[in-house]
Amino acid sequence: MRSRGRSGARSDRTRSAPSRDRSAHHAGGTTVVAVDIGGTFTDIVLQRGSEVSLVLKRPTSSQEPSQAVLAALEELDDIAGGNLVHATTIGTNALLQGPERLSHGVSLVTTQGFRDVIEIGRQNRPSLYDLEFRRPRPLVARRDRYEVPERVTESGRVLVPLRRNSARRLAVSLRRAGARAVAVSLLHSYANPVHERRIAAELRSRVPFVSVSSEVAPEPREFERTSTVVVNAWLMPLVSQYISHLGGGLPKLGIGSASVMASSGGLVSLEEAATRPVQIIESGPAAGVVAAAETARRAGLSSIISFDMGGTTAKVGTVHDGRVGLTAELEVGGDSHHGRRGKGTGYPVRFPFVDLAEVSSGGGTMIRRDPNGTLTVGPESAGSAPGPICYGRGGTVPTLTDANLVTGVLAPTLLGGEMKLDRAAARRGFARMGDPLDVAEQALRLADLEMARALRMVTVERGLDPRHFTLVAFGGGGPQHAARLATELRMSTVLVPRHPGVFSSIGLLLADWRYEARMAFPKDLPRDLEALRRQLRRRFRAGRFSAAVECRYAGQGSELSVPLRTEDRRRVAREFERLHEVTFGFRLTRGVELVTLRLFGERSRPKPSFGFSPSSAGPTGTRTLRWMGRDLPLETFGRDGLARGARIRGPAAIDEYGSTTLVPPSWTATVLPDGLLRLERSSR
Amino acid sequence: MTEEWELVSKATEFIAEEMGVALQRSALSPNIRERMDHSCAVVAPSGAIVAQAEHIPVHLGSFKVGVEQLLAALRSTSSEPGRREMILVNDPYITGTHLNDLMVLAPVHWRGSLVGFVTNKAHHVDVGGSVPGSLNPRAGDLFGEGVVVPPTTIVRASRLDAGAFRLLGSNVRDPEVARGDLEAQIAANRMGVARVRDLFDRFGKALVERSWEESRSRVSATVARALGRMRHGRFSAADAVELGPRMLPIRVSLRVSGAGVLADFQGTSEQVAAPLNAVLGVTYSATAFAVRAALAMTFPTNAGFYDRVQVRAPPGSLVNPDRPAPVSGGNVETSQRIADVVLEALAPSVPHPIPAASSGTMMNIMVGGRRASGRRWAYYETIGGGSGGRSSGNGVSGVHTNMTNTLNTPVEVAEKEYPLLFTSYALRPGSGGVGRFRGGDGLVRGFRLLEPATVSVISDRFYRGPPGRDGGASGRPGRVRLRFRNREKQMPSKFTVDLEPGAEIIVETPGGGGFGAPTRRPRRPSSPAG
Repeated sequence: MRSRGRSGARSDRTRSAPSRDRSAHHAGGTTVVAVDIGGTFTDIVLQRGSEVSLVLKRPTSSQEPSQAVLAALEELDDIAGGNLVHATTIGTNALLQGPERLSHGVSLVTTQGFRDVIEIGRQNRPSLYDLEFRRPRPLVARRDRYEVPERVTESGRVLVPLRRNSARRLAVSLRRAGARAVAVSLLHSYANPVHERRIAAELRSRVPFVSVSSEVAPEPREFERTSTVVVNAWLMPLVSQYISHLGGGLPKLGIGSASVMASSGGLVSLEEAATRPVQIIESGPAAGVVAAAETARRAGLSSIISFDMGGTTAKVGTVHDGRVGLTAELEVGGDSHHGRRGKGTGYPVRFPFVDLAEVSSGGGTMIRRDPNGTLTVGPESAGSAPGPICYGRGGTVPTLTDANLVTGVLAPTLLGGEMKLDRAAARRGFARMGDPLDVAEQALRLADLEMARALRMVTVERGLDPRHFTLVAFGGGGPQHAARLATELRMSTVLVPRHPGVFSSIGLLLADWRYEARMAFPKDLPRDLEALRRQLRRRFRAGRFSAAVECRYAGQGSELSVPLRTEDRRRVAREFERLHEVTFGFRLTRGVELVTLRLFGERSRPKPSFGFSPSSAGPTGTRTLRWMGRDLPLETFGRDGLARGARIRGPAAIDEYGSTTLVPPSWTATVLPDGLLRLERSSR
Repeated sequence: MTEEWELVSKATEFIAEEMGVALQRSALSPNIRERMDHSCAVVAPSGAIVAQAEHIPVHLGSFKVGVEQLLAALRSTSSEPGRREMILVNDPYITGTHLNDLMVLAPVHWRGSLVGFVTNKAHHVDVGGSVPGSLNPRAGDLFGEGVVVPPTTIVRASRLDAGAFRLLGSNVRDPEVARGDLEAQIAANRMGVARVRDLFDRFGKALVERSWEESRSRVSATVARALGRMRHGRFSAADAVELGPRMLPIRVSLRVSGAGVLADFQGTSEQVAAPLNAVLGVTYSATAFAVRAALAMTFPTNAGFYDRVQVRAPPGSLVNPDRPAPVSGGNVETSQRIADVVLEALAPSVPHPIPAASSGTMMNIMVGGRRASGRRWAYYETIGGGSGGRSSGNGVSGVHTNMTNTLNTPVEVAEKEYPLLFTSYALRPGSGGVGRFRGGDGLVRGFRLLEPATVSVISDRFYRGPPGRDGGASGRPGRVRLRFRNREKQMPSKFTVDLEPGAEIIVETPGGGGFGAPTRRPRRPSSPAG
């Protein structure tokens, strides 16, 4: 199956979406399979009727993404008639492999005189003092960059008309050159897409995959828009092939429909993903924040911070006033340095992404001493192989998991006793660097500082005060560090959901459908919103809409996103000014510019509840916790042996399959009615 | 706990960095928001830099010099800032850069005593003077480059002092933009003050001070170890900047020892009555940049590094002028040449090969005028070139090198803000010097004026392209052409002209020098390096 622009996607969706929705409302009968394919593990969660009924963690079976999904589904019985929701790493992996390793290239069409913008970027280099610096390889080789004589001005006026002949000649020569994927990005096309459309029309009858910037990212800033459309065109053949493989295998398993998590935290159909594959690049990480947001909603909280600590990294996101924090741009395939994406290290993509700060503090993150004798945590990770020393799989460098074991946070056995950890070996690993307990505790505090910094990035740097938020902790390591991190940021409450180890895949079951459309420099809000609504309805049967406007003071270089509650420009401007003052501490006597109007079309899905069968087994034992240089007795509990309303005073540890929650001194844990664990700090 | 110092010093580094983010996010001008022409630092009461986050290297060492000179100036006039006050200064003979860089300093008080300062610098797009953008190629003295602000209390009782701002605002072309950017600088400092105080609350005065000292001595030890691996002795190099037909020599003699690098600029040209003089802060910055890049290792920037780099520059020279010599271009052009000569001199001393010379000019373009509405406008841009070929491969094309790392202004943003129409923005093929590894290519950027405007350029490397290394050829020199009514004219590297609508300026930046003799070039596909 090949997607040629939008028409194919439209017809497919209108066929499948309503039937899926109807079946979902039948009581009891629905089966939804959520599959989250990670590099090492594949997490599978099954929803039957209105409950989460099965949770599985399996090694990822195949490096071929569609095979990995199909293999995961084959593990399950009785899923015929069900639907699939999934997170895929296909976009991320393609970008990690880099352009040179892919068999197909992408060609680019630009305004005459501007074909090198894609290579020049913003002229900066990624590191200040490195004389051997490199920039990411341009996604389009110079010989594959084509120019057309045409020019549109910033106001959208056609200054140099595009001749039909030159559009046709261009399309013909691209076909002769054997182009399979072509991106079109002309200057100021967000203000007037007429030339881009004319070129696309000529190309679409001659080239399999065509993507134009005014359809993918209609916004000013030529480099970022061009980069977005090039990445999109480049991913189109891959994602189309993936979908066609998946589409070939699903009917045999009786799976009716399939959808993908987009980077913005909403689900989209496979066809939408094939048309705009840039939107599924950060598919997996978005799901965790969605799960945290829904947990918060059920707990009656409007503002939370999601804290997802896995094997290699920790990711932090926000939900503020019930809304998942988004960012309008991400440099994909780039490096991040202490949670900040290095400008100029990757390929910018202008699309809504869940706003995550990611730092290299995961269970497998290595602890070393540098030549100065300074203790360093990360950025290298021992991953799952060789893994932490205590796993006994050949790891020789101590990791954060080793530090948590040595200091008594972790029990000496994991996964309900399946896996025994070698505490003595971990201790020996630290002993090479000094007193093992001191070094391990110091490393944990450094990791906390690094994670706290990520957390400040998504709050303080956005004008939000973390003290007004609740921390929702998940991933294998999140509950181990959550209370300490909260202390570091003076937050008073932490929630640990059920199944923290597979919480991200549960997020797939908790997501709504969500499609995005945008327009630069809206002039008439009611009319422009209607145009965007029409556009979204063509792509998807939206149940409701939510809009935001990216605004700035005239002349500013970046924007603040203002949720749209009114269609009155003046009130939008007032709301922007209020937000500007909250975020930056001042207002200006200057006009407010509405730069980008963004509309999400949404439709809810029925969401499962989590099973919780309380018991009251009481403490399971004790171990010794190293805490601020002292040894404290730590009482331990099993997560499955807790009664509703049970209160556990720290220091205590609550062990469960795949995770441990640390309740530090002066913290208390309470078991909420639905099984959530709430940790609170006693005042002073 | 044995290593608390590390937590404190890391937290301090984060403060400097977060200040930079706050400044960038809330500034008004594209120059700061898009091009990131700003830097922030946390400073001990002594003036020693504890942590800094610089986005462009020309701010690297100028903080050390700038803070020392500012604190000395404040002490000598007994005008140290009190609680909830901040000082503004842009006098380059204090700040160590040029008038466009406004520096704002805030004291941090904790439990009644001064425990440090936070400070930041940001390049304001216009600070008055006779040309829009203030970098005035014709300035004969400092006063021709804009308004000079001596150390002045700009924030009192936590608020912007309206009177002090009026004095500044009346001397610049767009006071609203100046105010927006200044407010952003103040907000960044305010955040920095709160965060440093918080640090003292959490860890206590003794521990914070001990930690700051410890991180300084650790960095100093790190640098000493790297120096130990270098060849010790005296190394010298020379190059020049262009002034009309004259070549103004810049000479450096380095003494490299296990204790540090001493750069002596004896033999450098005397100061000139043109804006190419580099104040001592700039000379120090460029030297520190070159040393740091040549060390090829990462460490946090603090006084421990500065302790290892010393500069001796003859008073009254191009690299240490006497007030009131004009200095705007010294910051942006002469600084590049200083970095070039210090890198050149370091080449035989470091264990790994130093690349060939990079474009060596920031190619500063200032355009401005008065709109039909009466409003004045000023647009400032620098244009990257080719980086030099390296022992590891070709140089990079179309990139900012050495003393700058600003982002370009997108064509679509510039056309919306200013009455300009861009005609090209492309690589300049073949401009990189040939060699075993080629220099990166320069850029071509052309624009047409839609309204009458004044165009100024301050650039260099128009006569001699960036030299190659080890037998590599020089990169092609830069050039600027003016097209008007079917006539084309080559312009010099420094000029100001008043132009009519329709005039087109085409700027071409130098390619980088080649590395190694071309015959030894490995066969490779001839694509521009990435």
